[in-house]
Amino acid sequence: MQVFFQTIIGGISLGAVYALVALGFSLVYRTMGLVNFAHGNVVTVGAYLASTFYLTTKLPFALAMLVAIAVTAAIGLVIERVLRPLENRDFDLMLIGTIGFGIVLDALVIMIWGATGRAVPSPVPAAPIELFGLRIRTYDLVVLAIAAVATVLLVLFLSRTKRGAAMQAVAMDHEAATAVGIHVGRSNAIAFMIGAGLAALAGGLVGPLLYVNPALGGALGIKGFAAAILGGFGSIPGAIVGGLAIGVLDSFAAGHFQGYSELVTFLVFTVIIMIRPTGVFGERTVNRA
Amino acid sequence: MRYRIATLAIIAVAAWLLPYGLDSYAIHVVNVILIFAILAVGLGLCMGVGGQVNLAQVAFFGVGAYATAILTTRAGWGFWVSALLAIAATMAIGLLVGTPALRVQSHYLGIVTLGLALAFTNWVTNAQIAGGAEGISAIPVPTLPGVDLSSEYLYYYLELIVFALVLAFGLFIVRTALGRRMRAMRDDALAAGALGAEVPVLRMTAFLLASVYGGVAGVLYAGLIRYVAPESFSIANMFLLLAMVIIGGRQSLIGCVVGAVGLYLVREWLVDHPTVAQLAYGTVVVLVVVFAPTGLAGLPKRLRAALGRGRAGSAARLQPFRPYETRAEPAGQGAPILEADRISMHFRGLKALDEVSLSVTAGEIRGIVGPNGSGKTTLFNVISGLYRPTRGRVRFRGRDATGLAPYRLARAGMSRTFQNLRLFGDLTVEENVLVALDRSATWHSWHYLLRPVHVLRRDRDLHRRARESLDRYGLTEFAALPPKSLPYGIQRRVEIARAMAAGPALLLLDEPAAGLNGEEVRQLSEIVRSIRDSGVTVIVIEHNMGLVMSLCERITVLAGGRVIAEGEPAEVATTPAVIEAYLGDSMEVTG
Repeated sequence: MQVFFQTIIGGISLGAVYALVALGFSLVYRTMGLVNFAHGNVVTVGAYLASTFYLTTKLPFALAMLVAIAVTAAIGLVIERVLRPLENRDFDLMLIGTIGFGIVLDALVIMIWGATGRAVPSPVPAAPIELFGLRIRTYDLVVLAIAAVATVLLVLFLSRTKRGAAMQAVAMDHEAATAVGIHVGRSNAIAFMIGAGLAALAGGLVGPLLYVNPALGGALGIKGFAAAILGGFGSIPGAIVGGLAIGVLDSFAAGHFQGYSELVTFLVFTVIIMIRPTGVFGERTVNRA
Repeated sequence: MRYRIATLAIIAVAAWLLPYGLDSYAIHVVNVILIFAILAVGLGLCMGVGGQVNLAQVAFFGVGAYATAILTTRAGWGFWVSALLAIAATMAIGLLVGTPALRVQSHYLGIVTLGLALAFTNWVTNAQIAGGAEGISAIPVPTLPGVDLSSEYLYYYLELIVFALVLAFGLFIVRTALGRRMRAMRDDALAAGALGAEVPVLRMTAFLLASVYGGVAGVLYAGLIRYVAPESFSIANMFLLLAMVIIGGRQSLIGCVVGAVGLYLVREWLVDHPTVAQLAYGTVVVLVVVFAPTGLAGLPKRLRAALGRGRAGSAARLQPFRPYETRAEPAGQGAPILEADRISMHFRGLKALDEVSLSVTAGEIRGIVGPNGSGKTTLFNVISGLYRPTRGRVRFRGRDATGLAPYRLARAGMSRTFQNLRLFGDLTVEENVLVALDRSATWHSWHYLLRPVHVLRRDRDLHRRARESLDRYGLTEFAALPPKSLPYGIQRRVEIARAMAAGPALLLLDEPAAGLNGEEVRQLSEIVRSIRDSGVTVIVIEHNMGLVMSLCERITVLAGGRVIAEGEPAEVATTPAVIEAYLGDSMEVTG
């Protein structure tokens, strides 16, 4: 029982990071119906930026993170602007376009930071908390708190601000949104920007948990995507639940299947998609003739 | 034609003489390029022609190579036996990876296939039998009597012959019935299904083809390098392969080959700066996607279009419709061909159809009218199998047809047109008709391998019938044009010609007169009458009351998802409920 709960706790902080990645995927998807295949690479860029500012320029961790978020948000804007001519026209081509951006970002990361990775020390060096015989790392709590705050801010933005409401409208029907005078392109750009910012947040937070290396984002991206699918693509609460679920699942799979944990995760994920493509919280859509 | 044969001969001779001018390293590079070209052709068939996003091509490649390696070194079997089994194994994996395509498409399919490719690399890196991270070395040299295949120069000729064969096979598929059907599905899976293309089988076929090409490439790779390791089948190589196909032009197999050759040469040239190469091809992929979606292969056509813009538009003219021969006694006259029994269709809270019953007699022209949003198109979608009704049954030609897949209904003799036209934009007018004419079963595609002459003969016959059909509808001069370039009225006529080419017993027309001018409406009514006289039952949804009143023998009126009246035109027009539905209740207007 002790081991069981310890495994769950081990999975939850990574789960929160997956949830942030999933949120980025979902936000872009619900606004423009696109899965951003470069999302994982943006996570890598964010992780490297945050760790660079934190380690070499000795900025405080929070400030390093903000700088990383700002830079990746700009990258998000660039991606959206370049691919804008394809929006609502050819989704397969857009998907391939984002893969192209992923290839470019991957190359840039290796050019700038080299192919080897780096370890980031925890910014909160306090000793783990002991609770009912379970060990909880303080940094895990920080990750959970930041992820929760980010989610609340995002939900508030979408529901309480005019810009957020406009984005919801675009998500529902981009043609109708255009008709009432919403600038769809700008809405998509903001979605991309926030999505990339969330990716950097996830990357920055995961730095002290994992080893920062060029392959980091690929793994996180695919887990985050699995989380988004599991929760229902495009759904905000779904992304959170999915992220935590994948984190815990991952933690159990690593315990039980060792090296094969990735294989197991992807097979389970494929089966889930086949049984219920819309996820747990997703809505069924109808295709019209 | 003669020009083509000459070019082909020159290329063949050049390819045959190529090794004489190359040193041992260069021939190795050429050998690897040929393997990538085979992979690219496979990916092009699946993704470019079939429209199935496949990011597992590199895993198919890996399965082929690893299976050969394992069977030769671990089981000790001969190379060629192992090779055949390896290709069979790859095909099995291909079918497995393709199954999600039955449920999901586009982005989802991309991520699932990518996930499965990662699962494969994860397995080979960990599995004892696959040699773990070190891989498997000492794969035996393939033996061929009289030829020493350990020489890369001689291996080149083996690869060249295989490459020429698989490329020719790919081109053969693309230019005949199977490829046409796959392209139709890529353009519009819904319309392809409604014309009888078995969409699920076609999607699996696309993955099967990709896996065969992957398997062949894998076997050749194992025989060439004689060593396999996980990193050769990494995601980075998958993206490189994808870049080859996109840059070359995914819809053209030749383009895929050009992309593979070109990109690999550039990578070889930048071999000391792999990240620069990666940066470069990533950038080019983005640029190609945005500015030249058809890739290098599409450039000549774009150039020609740009240069020829000044010329006057096509001089093609619509010819008059030539009526069908009248069948004296249509089969099954008097018996109902279609019966809908209390169909309800709910979309979450919305009741689009509420207990709609309908019985259409063979040989009649039935009109379905009603205000906008009364459920007419939803009714068509239920009848033609696009929607499965929430409640109720549909019987077609005496058999239960509720919830049957559209392609099954199409093959049982139901054909339809769409309210907003669903012509295949990337196919010519003639090919649109050809897709409908082709009634062969897709699982008969093994004919391509074992009875190619039969396939060619059948294709020639289809072309003859397509010309006849286009001639009947006066569309001969438009045969080679893309449908989207034609005036709206002509597109409508093409869609009817296409629906009739499927040889239906029941034709569903969804607002065939929308957007037509007076003369075109007159021609339409002549066409529909002739279709009926040839023995086909017609159901038509239409807002043009003049047309409905003069054309239809019986009319069914829908309002708010219910049947509010049914009968002959004259009696329906005077039914109070109908007048109320169309003009509103006078009480409500004043109140």
